[in-house]
Amino acid sequence: MNNTVMLWLVLPVLLGLGLVLLQRVSKLSNILGSLFPLFFALLAVLFSNGLTLNLLGRIFVLDDSLLVFGRTIQVSTDQLGIIAFFYFLCFAWNLLSGLFKVSKWFTSLSLIITALWVSVQVINPFLYSAVVIELIALISVPLLSPRGTPAKSGVIRFLSMQTIAMPLILMSGWMVSGIETSPSAEALIYRGALLVIAGFSLWAGIFPLHSWLPMLTDETHPWIITFLMTIMQIGVAVFFLKFLNQYAWLRNLEEIKLVLKWIGGLCIVSAGVLAAFQKNLNRILGYLYLSGTGYIVLSMAFQQQGWLELLTLYLLPRALSYWVIGYVFSLMREALDSEQLDFAELTGLILRFPLITVLLLCSLLNIIGMPLFSLFPAHRIIWSILASESLPIRLLIGVGLIGMITLFLRILAKVVQPPEATDQDKNERKVLIVPVSLIILFMVLGGLIPHLFSAPLQNLLISFQNLLR
Amino acid sequence: MKELLQSLPVYIALLAALLNLVRRQWTLNLLALLVQFVCVFPVLLRVLPLQLALIHPFTGLMVTLILYLTLLSVGGIKAINLRVPLSSGEIFRALTGIFLIATLRVFIPQLQQSVFPTVPGDHLFFSLGLILIGLVQMGTIREPFYLAIGLLTFLSGFEMLYSALEFSYLLEALLVAVNLLLAIVGAFFIVKNTESELV
Repeated sequence: MNNTVMLWLVLPVLLGLGLVLLQRVSKLSNILGSLFPLFFALLAVLFSNGLTLNLLGRIFVLDDSLLVFGRTIQVSTDQLGIIAFFYFLCFAWNLLSGLFKVSKWFTSLSLIITALWVSVQVINPFLYSAVVIELIALISVPLLSPRGTPAKSGVIRFLSMQTIAMPLILMSGWMVSGIETSPSAEALIYRGALLVIAGFSLWAGIFPLHSWLPMLTDETHPWIITFLMTIMQIGVAVFFLKFLNQYAWLRNLEEIKLVLKWIGGLCIVSAGVLAAFQKNLNRILGYLYLSGTGYIVLSMAFQQQGWLELLTLYLLPRALSYWVIGYVFSLMREALDSEQLDFAELTGLILRFPLITVLLLCSLLNIIGMPLFSLFPAHRIIWSILASESLPIRLLIGVGLIGMITLFLRILAKVVQPPEATDQDKNERKVLIVPVSLIILFMVLGGLIPHLFSAPLQNLLISFQNLLR
Repeated sequence: MKELLQSLPVYIALLAALLNLVRRQWTLNLLALLVQFVCVFPVLLRVLPLQLALIHPFTGLMVTLILYLTLLSVGGIKAINLRVPLSSGEIFRALTGIFLIATLRVFIPQLQQSVFPTVPGDHLFFSLGLILIGLVQMGTIREPFYLAIGLLTFLSGFEMLYSALEFSYLLEALLVAVNLLLAIVGAFFIVKNTESELV
């Protein structure tokens, strides 16, 4: 195991498969499922300054590449930051998975899925990663559609979209092969860019191809779907950066920035408007992801000095906000004993479950990007850059933001509304006060001291040398 | 005559894909899927060496076997009845499929000239035909077994097309894994749906 590829790709998959055998012993499986990703994340941090580690007088040296089917797969030092981040996400979700009634496959499959997302970032040629993303979608199916219920539309649509996206990305690579040496091939560049944009739109569920997103969040346990969608959103975003880094023709295409701005704007406005009228919290989760995708795309559109830092500043608070939303929705699901989480069930929630309600409201304020919370610093930068943008783009973002604020106000009105029946017992667990206070404190600290989140991720995207210039 | 014989597997496979799009009889669909995968072999043989051309039909056989065993376990394998009259939905799907294939046939020379000059005409027609029929299948049906067939048909078409453009062992290995996982996911859906119907 003195090879980075074996250590961060092959070993986690093997351990994940081992956890499948342990799933009957759920407590042990949960503990190991949390410890393994934490171990890989810490190891990635330890080796991030070089592939040599001196530990208690013993020197560990890692090789950085492995030959697989005639292709070299390389995990170099500058990629270890993003690898640590992926495994940390897996750890964060696996840590609390034992608290909720999630699929018994979760700990094992989450580790395998994380290892596959890591492989997406390191496979060479990088276009072949498109097939790995398809593999991830297929492996996610047992989590998205647990046994005992028929396969629903969301998961079917999700699979179809992911499958259609793969050929588009692979074909884009073939389409533009040799384009670097023939600068006059403008038609080829446009064709290639169109394929890339279409492929990524299908993967990320970008408006108007987002219909599977709210369906899937409605059909799946919030803890599972927040993990899958968070790692997917970040994984696809980093993979897109790889495209921009690798393909000068795509990076230098003037229209790409405009297209990204419009895609981002449309995602944010559609998510805001649809969420403002939605009456089901599970589906709202889907729109929150759509809005998040919009902001990530928008931050990629401003390819000027410091834009990668902006994206780096954005990733950890974004992941934290999804983690908190997943946690609070899962708590509500258990507390209300309901899978639907309709607005009707929220009536008087603050009287029955004050802690959960406060966390719900704070997490919504956080994910919308309101002041005091951890996503605000990154959103503030994006909004201030937008001030110099064209009016339609500003309007789209503005309407999207108003939609999200309307959603918050609707939820607030519902949770403080006195319930019709008075026999609803107040049965919130007192022990929740500790995690709820800590989470809120952490979100507020992230807002007040943005450096808290951006410092550990400073070198996260260092491998994209062409984008840093 | 030689050209006709060379094109025969293409038309048989497209006919099998059309049959899968139109008819809803599990045993018949499995047979058609098998025929579709087997017919890929002679077409692939024109662009790839024997050992590599064998990978796709062999994977197809494995996929069909997985689906067959699953259907067998849930009691889905029944005698084929060809006398069932076509429903309006089936006629619609048949006409859509035939229209798409006919349109594709007409535009193949232009497509070949402007986008895929290195791909033989028959090969291009076959792969794009499978892609189109797979897409229609995915778009018109919610039943997991047919979704799996649609996805497999779509992927089959893409793999055919890509194999004529470039070949990589790593990519081929990944695509084999995708095909097998897709069959397992299809089997998972079939079992799940049967279980929930029993409840």
